[in-house]
Amino acid sequence: MEDYTKYRLKTREELAQALSGTDHIFVISCNKCFKEFNTVEEPELAEFEKIAAEEGKTITGNARVDFLCNKTQTAKTLSDIVPEGTESIFVVSCGLGVQTIADMQTECSESDPTPVYSATDSLNYTGHHGMALTDKACDACAQCYLNVTGGICPIVDCSKSLVNGQCGGAKNGKCEVDPNKDCAWEKIYQRLKKQGRLEEFLNQPVQMRDYSKTSFKFVHDYVTSIRENRLDGYYGGVHPLENKGYTEQIALARFPEPETVVIPLSMHAGAPATPIVAVGDTVKVGQKIGESAGFISSPVHSSVSGTVIAIEDHGHATRGTCPAVVIQSDGKNTLDDSVKPHKSLEELTPDEIIDIVKEAGIVGMGGAGFPTSVKLKPAKPVDTILLNGCECEPYLTADHRVMLEYADDIVFGLRAIVKTVGAEKGLIVIEDNKPDAIEVMKAKVADYDNLDVVVAKTKYPQGAEKMLIKRVMKRQVPSGGLPADVGCVVSNISTTKAISDAIQKGMPLIERVVSVTGERLKNPGNYIVKIGTNTKDLIDYCGGVVGDGEITYKAGGPMMGFVLKDLNVPIMKGSNGIICVDTDYTEEQPCIKCGRCMDVCPMELKPLYFAKYADEENWQGMKDQHVMDCLECRCCEYICSSKIPLVTKIKAGKAAVRGMK
Amino acid sequence: MKITELFERGEFVVTAEVGPPKGCHIENLLEEAKTYLSGITAVNVTDNQSSVMRLGSLATCKALKDEGLTPIFQITCRDRNRIALQSDLLSAVMLGIENVLLLTGDHTKLGDHPQAKPVFDLDSVSLLHTAKLLESGVDLGGNQLVGEPPKFAKGAVVSPCSDSVDAQLAKMERKVAAGADYFQTQAVYEPEKFIKFMEKAKQFGKPVQLGIVIPKSAGMAKYMNDNVAGIHVPQEMLDELRADKEKTKAGITGVEIAARIIKECKPYCQGVHIMALGWESKVPALLEQAGI
Amino acid sequence: MLITELKSKETIFSLVDGKKAFIINCHGCREVYFPLEEAAQLQEELHANGSVTGILTTDYICNPDNLKVRLEGHKAEIDAADVVLVFSCGVGVQTVASYLEDKKVCACCDTSRLPGFQGVTPLEYDCGQCGECYLNLTGGICPITACSKSLVNGQCGGSKNGKCEVDPNMDCGWERIYRRLEKIGRLDALKCPTQIRNFATDQEVAK
Repeated sequence: MEDYTKYRLKTREELAQALSGTDHIFVISCNKCFKEFNTVEEPELAEFEKIAAEEGKTITGNARVDFLCNKTQTAKTLSDIVPEGTESIFVVSCGLGVQTIADMQTECSESDPTPVYSATDSLNYTGHHGMALTDKACDACAQCYLNVTGGICPIVDCSKSLVNGQCGGAKNGKCEVDPNKDCAWEKIYQRLKKQGRLEEFLNQPVQMRDYSKTSFKFVHDYVTSIRENRLDGYYGGVHPLENKGYTEQIALARFPEPETVVIPLSMHAGAPATPIVAVGDTVKVGQKIGESAGFISSPVHSSVSGTVIAIEDHGHATRGTCPAVVIQSDGKNTLDDSVKPHKSLEELTPDEIIDIVKEAGIVGMGGAGFPTSVKLKPAKPVDTILLNGCECEPYLTADHRVMLEYADDIVFGLRAIVKTVGAEKGLIVIEDNKPDAIEVMKAKVADYDNLDVVVAKTKYPQGAEKMLIKRVMKRQVPSGGLPADVGCVVSNISTTKAISDAIQKGMPLIERVVSVTGERLKNPGNYIVKIGTNTKDLIDYCGGVVGDGEITYKAGGPMMGFVLKDLNVPIMKGSNGIICVDTDYTEEQPCIKCGRCMDVCPMELKPLYFAKYADEENWQGMKDQHVMDCLECRCCEYICSSKIPLVTKIKAGKAAVRGMK
Repeated sequence: MKITELFERGEFVVTAEVGPPKGCHIENLLEEAKTYLSGITAVNVTDNQSSVMRLGSLATCKALKDEGLTPIFQITCRDRNRIALQSDLLSAVMLGIENVLLLTGDHTKLGDHPQAKPVFDLDSVSLLHTAKLLESGVDLGGNQLVGEPPKFAKGAVVSPCSDSVDAQLAKMERKVAAGADYFQTQAVYEPEKFIKFMEKAKQFGKPVQLGIVIPKSAGMAKYMNDNVAGIHVPQEMLDELRADKEKTKAGITGVEIAARIIKECKPYCQGVHIMALGWESKVPALLEQAGI
Repeated sequence: MLITELKSKETIFSLVDGKKAFIINCHGCREVYFPLEEAAQLQEELHANGSVTGILTTDYICNPDNLKVRLEGHKAEIDAADVVLVFSCGVGVQTVASYLEDKKVCACCDTSRLPGFQGVTPLEYDCGQCGECYLNLTGGICPITACSKSLVNGQCGGSKNGKCEVDPNMDCGWERIYRRLEKIGRLDALKCPTQIRNFATDQEVAK
């Protein structure tokens, strides 16, 4: 692996000269990038401080920073860190880091900026490496010659960057400039000969380079846009391929009646429900079959009418196995007597609504499964309800279809939440990739002064509560805190529709909309599916899978979904999608500190440390790097150039940190 | 003859400028130079001006010299690395051309070969430094020159009416430190700005020649305002050029304006440099009107 | 960080020249410019001509280990192809070419670089990796990258209204440097000795 360390200290003489006019120095050092992540502490800072001390200078302090050129993170790390009385700042970094600090100093201190000095020279290489640390480099000449040269770059590999063949300077196949270096054109010739392409080469027209090809404007505009996207609304995030086209235009259809359903007693955060039926009991649609077993818990209900044939452990998409009630359907769908409409929204008190929601077994249907009734009793005053219509996960279109086809129910549910929580307003936040849903919802809320639709520029993981709040409300949920800490409650679209059903029809949460999709599924679609329906039945109904090669099945989307090793698991309250996608062949490779994980982490964490510390079982280190703040959104893993399974390592770290308490 | 000697004698030095043709025939250029420019001290020869490929500056200088004129060899850093630059400076001296004007040069993208590789191995300041080094008998690589070292009159340029005059003055100071013996300026249309500039430039103790471009039309003046760095033709001059189209077309207005500027600035500078841009024929009339 | 633009359709079609092609797309530096739609459209056309034996859309092919894992399942398709078309930056193409040494491997993109390539993210500023940092003389603005001519002794006379003569979208680097030095009270930095660059690379110096 090449080491693309970017800088080295200037010589002793140069440093002495740079130091001569100043004293009381603060030192900022960048931990190097693009090298194997072996050591956290790089030596140059100490070396520089030693030289400064020998020159009789006082050091007022120092700071080590990862990726100094990451301006947002650097500004956060360095705010208020430079002590009073500092006369100058010396930066140990490549030129980008020095410029970042120089810029920040000039920008933040209008009157008397602290002078910034570079203690280093950036190393110079020929060409630019890729994300991997190999000896292949590209000079980005904007007129690729590799087709003429059998894939060997004449610009980088030839000392003279010749494009029409070798000069006369090579001796024994070695370059005249450096006898350790192979003559690039000798290599090119041999490769073309081997491939039988010499004639093709000889017939090439005379090549002449065009040095005007790179346009400042093209590059500048692109850089600006990519930074804007990354920092738009909230820090980080990614833009994975959406792949929503498979199902977004397909109307909801009811999935055929299952013969049996397997209803897990745990489809929510907190304690599993306690079964209140026995094998042999007859149950009806909407009948409660499991009772809530604590403050953070939820009841469960039968989604069919029929007979309880077993109460046993059963495969579960997210927990391995879990006790479940197995019911054989009689196919009649007889409604339970308890299923009848409640009073009108105007007549219901907040406490009554909370009760209805709790009894209906409604939990967050975005996946986390937090009991909604608990959310509706926030410990702090709430002014705004945010309805999460982002559905930022690729492939999934369940919420999108629910918005299009159940808009009135969503508005009703939102009104119920606003009333229950006593909020001033309710906002439906929809990403701009769903213009039809935006249009429909806008029309529906037009009649209500306290409801509105907010259009958010698409970015993953916008649907995460904290990101959504930051984007829409510009409020920062504190570490370890809840949306209510900043006056917000966030609700999922399907959850809100379920609240409406519970109030208007008295129907508990017994079915949900599931996107069954993916490039390997024959007939993707969006289905209204009864809770407890077998996942394999769903896939079979959609025509099964197609194509060659291994398939990955996931419950949920590709980013936060759970890999299904066994399809014999039931659809649950949080099952927004089942996807069948090509398996991504990867192998974990060593971290090269490219820093992209840190660039995309919406929680502004440093995932590279999680990878390093998890392998070392340094759980304290993980805790110190705030692993508990991680959302497990998988942005870091998605972007990782070394294919490190970061989320797995993070989960291990979280478990270990929990155990430390 | 080095033009620095004239400055030293306190003479008001007049130079003009010619641009070599795109091709290898130089008869017309020589004819015009002989006819209109023989009365002046020296003639600058531009070096692929505006990055447009032309006949070489050094060869043209030699041809002018053979006709009895005193050429000033303009040399830019755009097309040559430090090896070629030093080599050409030595060649000039060998041909008896000691007056040089050392510039950075326009970027290649502005000319008629935008695909060309811009060199800029050295820049105007380091080129002045290099010329000075050669005068001490050593080249930039630290090697001794054989025999008597060359001697140059090292000219440089400065832009007194630039929108950032302070930065121009700073660069001028660097050029002086690097070895500039005299300066020619970008075209001046705002005498008051030039005078203010000269008050500050005085401290460097180097002679400065006022740059003059005879305005050919209001359109040309406007074009320069929009596109040429360091040039601003004030509104009243634009109006003057517009007032009588025939007079302007005949060159009378332009010469009047230029002469006025020279008269106004003369007490503050040590010479004038006329960039006639094809109107070499107007130079004698201009000098006469300006009282030179 | 490197970004790519497609070569012309004619060029790419002439590379295939009626023969069989295997296609590799690298969406590697995810989120960094790759002409996704144009490439897909072009490949669709090639496919319709019956020229394509397979398409692999993957990432980080510049990493030889990663490339190897990803190519494993496509051996037959590659064997069946006369030419391998790579839609990636120049590093990716070279990695594929050296892995498939006996195949004709072709680049379908031209590569440009983004400022900030050395670091983690595309940035508004850049480092020219000159090996002789000038930032101490320029108030922390890189003259190698901020000036079109990479001048190190001050501005040329070409800037107009503070904009570069080469591109009016670009600020004159030396104008910025001067203003910065003025602001931080370090105009004396301009009185430094004449600067002359050293174009030998570190590898050459190291010898």
